[in-house]
Order: sequence, then structure tokens, then C-alpha cells
Amino acid sequence: MKIVILNGNPVENTGFDNYLKNLASLLESRNHVVTILKLREMKIKYCTGFFGCWVKTPGKCVIKDDMSNICREYICSDLALFTSPVIMGFPSALLKKAHERIIPLLHPYFEFIQNEVHHLSRYDKYPLIGLLLEKEGDTDEEDIEIISGIYRRTAINLNTSLCFVKLTSDLIEEVANEINSI
Amino acid sequence: MRLTVFNGSPRGTKSNTDILINSFLDGFMRSDGNTYELAYLKRIKESNNFIKLFQATEQVLLAFPLYLDGPPAIVKTFIELLEPLCGRADNPGVGFIVQSGFPEANHSRWLERYLKKLASRLNCEYKGTVIKGGVEGIQALPALASRKLLRSFYKLGKTFGETGEFDQQIVRKLAQPERLTKFQFWRFNLLGKFYWNTMLRKNKAFGKRFDKPYS
Ligand SMILES: Cc1cc2nc3c(=O)[nH]c(=O)nc-3n(C[C@H](O)[C@H](O)[C@H](O)COP(=O)(O)O)c2cc1C
Repeated sequence: MKIVILNGNPVENTGFDNYLKNLASLLESRNHVVTILKLREMKIKYCTGFFGCWVKTPGKCVIKDDMSNICREYICSDLALFTSPVIMGFPSALLKKAHERIIPLLHPYFEFIQNEVHHLSRYDKYPLIGLLLEKEGDTDEEDIEIISGIYRRTAINLNTSLCFVKLTSDLIEEVANEINSI
Repeated sequence: MRLTVFNGSPRGTKSNTDILINSFLDGFMRSDGNTYELAYLKRIKESNNFIKLFQATEQVLLAFPLYLDGPPAIVKTFIELLEPLCGRADNPGVGFIVQSGFPEANHSRWLERYLKKLASRLNCEYKGTVIKGGVEGIQALPALASRKLLRSFYKLGKTFGETGEFDQQIVRKLAQPERLTKFQFWRFNLLGKFYWNTMLRKNKAFGKRFDKPYS
């Protein structure tokens, strides 16, 4: 499987980054192809919300930065692993910044999916989504439940589904097994 | 009553959020002695001021568009700035407005849970979350239909200015429909297609609308 890991850790923190590195090594030893994108070292601007990616240059954002590489990497993958520490009960703003700039991969037209309005696919196939979180001091079960709920929804919007939610307190082996079972 | 409004739209002054906020504020200012400050979260360079504005008021209203089922990244950046204020005893009350492109309130319900939890994390009195779907088209809407919507936000602001609370009856009405029927979708889709096609044509991009630049 081709796997892209979006590292949404906003600050140098060797624990989190090492966890991803070790996870990537283990997955590679099981014949997966893994790319880690360290978002904090990439040039990513905030979405400006004017839908240029749908109505001016269909399929491509009008902002020129590293997001075009990320979009290409994303759409060519079988699994996109969104990863971040939980900050104020939600994944980092850094991860969200990249996440919302993926909409050029969708089409503006609407579709009725699971009896809700969503967007039409632009591509034939989208990667499945996994979520890996690091709890902060006050993160509780409810926080994880809310984040999971939001990601289950966002997966429908990205024309895919959320396969799993894992924590960095889980063994790396466990996360890799979860990915292997997809 | 002192109110600070944060506009969390990446479109700033050119946003649908701004239109709704302005009607809300018109209503809010009907009560004698009420004052407000309005800050745009897209102006990230002013973020030091955001914290001051948050602390120097009795009520905060955070209004923003739904972005992939959550807050836009600029709003999340703002929320992260508030971390040092968690649990303080003197924090203001906080209410939210979440408006979205899709017409059903259903899309915003998980986010509503997040916002409620956020208020308790900050130790702010939670004033509730106003959810309004189908807002992307408002600038293209017939005057009558948009007037009705703006009237609701005016009334919402007026009651808030008098009581410091959202009028729950208006909140319930704004959140209609919770979900769509097949027929309602068919109608929404027709209008939606017209909306996007008009913009695509204006930008001479209609023929390219199905492009797949990354395949
Ligand atoms: C990147 C992006 C993601 C969006 N995601 C959603 C979504 O998940 N659900 C929805 O109903 N609308 C979504 N929208 C539409 C906006 O919420 C809607 O257009 C809103 O009215 C914009 O408000 P503004 O002008 O105040 O920014 C999205 C728009 C953008 C640009």
C-alpha cells in the first residue's frame, strides 16, 4: 500500500516525530511505501476561502506553495494518515491548515451521500483515512470521541471513510497491524 | 453590555459571516449602553490584540464558516492562542455562530459539541451555538429571502443585547432543516449547479471544470 503520513506536530518534539519515524520503518519492513510530510517545515498558507480551486483553476489552488505537492502525494496514496497532538481538544491548526487545502481534489457540484449533501468526486479514487493522536494533559475520552466524530464526517466529505483512530500511547506494532488489516 | 465579536472567516470583510454579524450587531446596539469590538481572525498579525479583546469584555461571539466539518484553520490558530486563559475565573461568556455551505444543520452538530466543550475548557459561560446552513448563496439570493435571514440575525442580536442570551426559538428555526429530503436535495442541487456554473463561466473555466491536474 502507498501511505502518506501528514505530520501535524507544530513544534519540535522528538517523541511524536520518532513515533512516526518508527511506525514508517515498521510499515516499510512490511512492504508498504511510506512518505512522511512534516507540515511544519513546509510552506503552507491558510485557505482564503474564495473557491478559486473550483471556479478559476479547476482542481488546483490559486495559491502557489507546497500544497500542490501535498495534494499530489495525497491523491496518489491508498491511505492518508492524519497525525497530530491534541491541542485545546482538537488536532493542531497546522494539520487543519493542510487538511482544508485538500478541497481542490473535490468537485464543486453536489451529491446526496448517506442522505446528506456532499461534493462530487473529481478523481476516481481517494485514499482511506486514518487518524493518530497524541493526548495532551487534559485530553479525555469525550475529546477523542468528538474528534473522531468530526473526522468520520470529514471523511465522507473527502469521498472516503475513516478506518481507525489510534493514540500514540498505543504500541507502534498495534497501529501497524491496524494498517495491515485494511 | 460589552461584546467582542471575532469574525473567523478567511474571507474577512468580504465574508458571509460578516453579513450575518452586521445584522446581529445592528440588533445588539438597539439597547442603550451596549458597546462592541469587532476583530478579524484572518489578520493574524493582530493576534496579540485578540487576547486582549477576549479578556476585556463581558461577552464573546465567535462566528465562522464550517470548513470540512470543523473550524477553519485560522479559527483553530486563535483557539490555540487562548490556551493560557483556560480555567481562569474572569473569562467572558462565549457564544458561537457556525454557518455553512451545505443546507443541513446536521453537518455542524459534532462541531457544536466541540464548541460546548471548548467553553467549559476555558471556564467561559457557554451561551450556545447558532447553526445556519445554506449560507454560501446568500449574496446571490433574491432580496426577499436574504432579508428574512438577516432579520432573524437582527432579532437574535437584539435579544442578546437585552438579555445576554440567544433566543432559543430563533436558534431552533435557523437550524432548519436538520436534514434534507430527496426532493429538497434535488432543488438545492439545481440551484447549486447554477451557482457554480455561473462562476465557472465568469472565469472562463467552464470547459475545464472536470480537470484532474494531479492524475
Ligand atoms: C475549504 C473549505 C471547506 C468547506 N467545508 C465545508 C463543509 O464541510 N461543510 C459545509 O457545509 N460548507 C463548507 N464550506 C463552505 C462554507 O462554509 C460556506 O461557503 C460559507 O458560507 C463561507 O462563509 P464565509 O464567506 O463567511 O467565509 C467550505 C468552504 C471552504 C472554502
